[in-house]
Amino acid sequence: MSSPQIRDLAWLKSLPKSAAVLRSSPSVRVRVSAELPFPSISSFDEIPATAAALVVAGGGSLMDEAKHFRARKRPALNLVLIPTIWGSGAESSPIAVLNREGAKQICIGGEFLPDAVIYWPELLDTISPARARRACGDVWSHALEAFLSPLACDSLRGELAALIAEVLRLPLSTDPRWFQAGTRACALQARASVGLVHGIAHVLEHPMRVRYPDQDWGHARLCSVFLLPVMNLNRAASSKWADLARQCAVDQDAVWSVLQRLFELEGFAAALPFLRENWAKILRDPCTRTNGTLVRAGRLDEIERQVAA
Amino acid sequence: MTNTEKLKDLIVDVFLIDPKEFHPDLKREQIETWDSLGVVSLAVGVQETFGQHFTQDEAIGITGIRDVIGILEARGISFDE
Repeated sequence: MSSPQIRDLAWLKSLPKSAAVLRSSPSVRVRVSAELPFPSISSFDEIPATAAALVVAGGGSLMDEAKHFRARKRPALNLVLIPTIWGSGAESSPIAVLNREGAKQICIGGEFLPDAVIYWPELLDTISPARARRACGDVWSHALEAFLSPLACDSLRGELAALIAEVLRLPLSTDPRWFQAGTRACALQARASVGLVHGIAHVLEHPMRVRYPDQDWGHARLCSVFLLPVMNLNRAASSKWADLARQCAVDQDAVWSVLQRLFELEGFAAALPFLRENWAKILRDPCTRTNGTLVRAGRLDEIERQVAA
Repeated sequence: MTNTEKLKDLIVDVFLIDPKEFHPDLKREQIETWDSLGVVSLAVGVQETFGQHFTQDEAIGITGIRDVIGILEARGISFDE
């Protein structure tokens, strides 16, 4: 399984107009279409049989859909991804997470790796401060849940501790360095597991998006909102976090300060009824079952009490 | 709380079974959620509840609740209550 090539924008612009088609998310469509010479499509089914490459500029969901489409329907098509936000790591992972009928479907295999990735920092101008902060929370949740994972070995925890030290130096706002940090966090968590934050995010994303379609209740926001409550729960359950953080020289106070800045009280309060309603499902989620501490059924009360606290 | 009660609570929470279903002779194949993730979750729970780590061989070799009790008794944790 080989990693995708990192190419620059000049390379992409130098390709003949007929070589590729372009699909982009609405937030960047005008800008990307203005700069790239390729015809735009709004559905993967519109890709002409003669196209040699598919260029996709968008977030994790769109990139994963593109990877799945290429792998299943047009394996000869070259796939070039331009991530417009960091956090998912979709642009460089052999995993495609699909939303199907309100549930997450996870596909893994070398065929889901793109051929090339292009980082286009100027596109970050389109990201709102809130969305940027939530994307940082996505990276943080990958790093911290993997660090606590029961499947992580000592050397992996050492790598994660180094990553945590690096992201502690990054602002919780738009910064191109988050792309690399996000990619590393995804690669490292893939060697261990994630935990309850991801279990909650996977289960609540669909019902919350349906209930609040205009409020950005995507994966990154759910991770940001629940990272502090879940880490509080982990810290209360056992000394594992404190012990591992000490062993790996992770600055616990600095990490908690970040978690508090990522937390959104109003969003947490809005999500709590969904958490209560879906708790049984969350307990059965594979991510929840590899949480760093045991997630007992009765611990829902502890999460709820954190609103008052 | 006795160790037997602690173990019962643990098994109920790890495998998401009804407390009434619990008995010490339960075997792995009788519990749908006792899959590979269940083994990981059980190891985490045993460490938190009894302060004991399963070795990899122990975790893989467990075929039912009696094996869990046996491993813990061998480490001085009594279930004769």
